[in-house]
Amino acid sequence: MPPKVIAVPKTDSGAYNPNRPAGTLLQSQALHMREALISHVHQLTTLLNIDMKSLKTEADVSSYVHRATALLHTNAGKPGKK
Amino acid sequence: MSAGLDNLKHIVVLMMENRSFDHMLGALKQKYPKINGLTGAESNPDTKGAIVKVQPNAQFQSQLDPDPDHHFPGVDLQIFGGAPLGPGRVANMQGFVKDYFSQTKDVNRSHNIMSYFTPDKLPVLTTLATEFAVFNGWFSSIPGPTICNRAFAHYGTSFGQVGMDIFYTLDTSVQSIYERMIQAGRTAKIYYYDQPSSTMEIVNLLKNQPQIFGTLDQFVSDCAGNTLPDYSFVEPCYSDHPGPDGGEVLASDQHPDHNVREGERFIANVYNAIRTNPTLWQNTVLLVVYDEHGGIYDHVVPPTCTPDGKTASADATGTGEPFAFDRLGVRVPAILISPWIPRGTVVPGTEDPANAQIFEHASIPATVTDYFLKGDAKRTQREQKANTFLALLTDQMRQDDDCVVFNNLQ
Repeated sequence: MPPKVIAVPKTDSGAYNPNRPAGTLLQSQALHMREALISHVHQLTTLLNIDMKSLKTEADVSSYVHRATALLHTNAGKPGKK
Repeated sequence: MSAGLDNLKHIVVLMMENRSFDHMLGALKQKYPKINGLTGAESNPDTKGAIVKVQPNAQFQSQLDPDPDHHFPGVDLQIFGGAPLGPGRVANMQGFVKDYFSQTKDVNRSHNIMSYFTPDKLPVLTTLATEFAVFNGWFSSIPGPTICNRAFAHYGTSFGQVGMDIFYTLDTSVQSIYERMIQAGRTAKIYYYDQPSSTMEIVNLLKNQPQIFGTLDQFVSDCAGNTLPDYSFVEPCYSDHPGPDGGEVLASDQHPDHNVREGERFIANVYNAIRTNPTLWQNTVLLVVYDEHGGIYDHVVPPTCTPDGKTASADATGTGEPFAFDRLGVRVPAILISPWIPRGTVVPGTEDPANAQIFEHASIPATVTDYFLKGDAKRTQREQKANTFLALLTDQMRQDDDCVVFNNLQ
C-alpha cells in the first residue's frame, strides 16, 4: 500500500514583494555581514603584507597557501563530501 | 538503547522564524486534547480594557504588519502584562495586545496578535505534529529576538546577549556545535537557502570556515547521495529576492510579514528530501523548531531554567532590570520526526508537572554532543542541564506506507 500523500497548496500569487521594507532581522544580518567583511579584510591585508621573499621553506609556503586558500575558498553550492 | 537509536546516523534541525506554538498548533487541542493548545477562551486585555479572545482567523500574510515586537522589553510586557518591576512579579501572558498596540497605534489591529491558524491552513506543520512527536514544552531560550535565541541552538549560550548585537568577539570559551563535531572527526554543516539569503550564524562565517556551510541545493543533493553529515542545521530563505535567472525567490522563514504558506512548502521540501531516500529515512531524525515566538500570543507561562553563568545588564535588557538567564522565552512549535516515533506522540510540558519535559534551544547542541561526542565538550552549565530528545526514538520502526509524504511541491 502506498503511503498517505498530502498535497501542499501553492503559495498565493502576489506574495512576492522584494520592495518590502527590510525588518530588524535583515538589517542586523547586513550589519553582521559587514563585521565579517571587516575581519576578512584584516586577514587579507595581513596576507598581502607578507614579504613573498620571506617564504623560504616548504613549511613557510604551505602555511601561506593554506591561509590564502582558506580565505578564498568557498564550498557553497558544491556537492558535499562526507 | 532503543533500536531507533542504534540505527541513528544523522540529526537534522530545521529552524524557522517567529511564530508561537498557539498561533501555529494551538487549534490542534480540539481534536487532540493532549496537545496543550487553545480552548478558545484565552484572552488578553486591549489598551481600552476590552477583553480580546484568541481568534481562528490567522492569515498567511499582511495581518501582522508591522512586525510584532519581540525585543526584550516588548516580550517582558507580553509575559508580565505590564506589572511593575520587582521580585514579586507574576507572569500572566496578558500583555500581547497592549504591546502590539505600540506598533500598530490602532486598537482593532492590535487584536491581530491573538490570531491563530486552523489546521486546514497548515497541512504540513499540523500533519507532522500529529503524525510524529510534538513538544508541549519547547520554549525559546531567551525572552528576546532572533540572534540571541539562535545562538543557543549553535552554542548552548548567547554569551550574555539578549538582543541582536554582535557577540562573537566577547567570548571564545565555548565552541559551536559544528566546531566540536569537526574537531572530533565527525561531520556537521549549516545549510542556508542561497547566497542572497545566507546565514544568521555569522560567527562561524566570520571565523572563515567554509567547510561548515552549504546551500539548500547541496542539502537536497547530500540527502539523495547519502552524503549528509552527521549533524545538519538547515536555514530557510530570509528574504524575497530575484532568483539567479531573474525569477522570484520567496522568503520561506515565516517571519512576519513573509508568507506562511511558502514556509509550509519549505518544511515539506526538507522533509521530503529525507523521506524519499529509504536508507536516510530510517537512520535520520528531523527536528522542526522555531527560533522564537515573534511577539505572537501563547498562553503558557515560560518556566525557570538553569542559568548559563551570564548576566545581561539593565541597560542591555532595556527594562531597568538585569537578566540572569534564569527563565526561558515564550513557547514555540517543535516537532520531532522519524519512522521510529509512534504516531501521535505528545511530549508533556508544564501542563503536566509530574511528567513535564522542558526543552529549549540549548537542547539541540546538548543532544548532538551527547549522541555523537558522548558529552565530551566544553559546555555551559545551561547546556549540560538541558533535556535531550533522542529518547523519543523507540524499538519499533513504522512501515513505509505508514509515514506520510508531501507532493505538489514544484
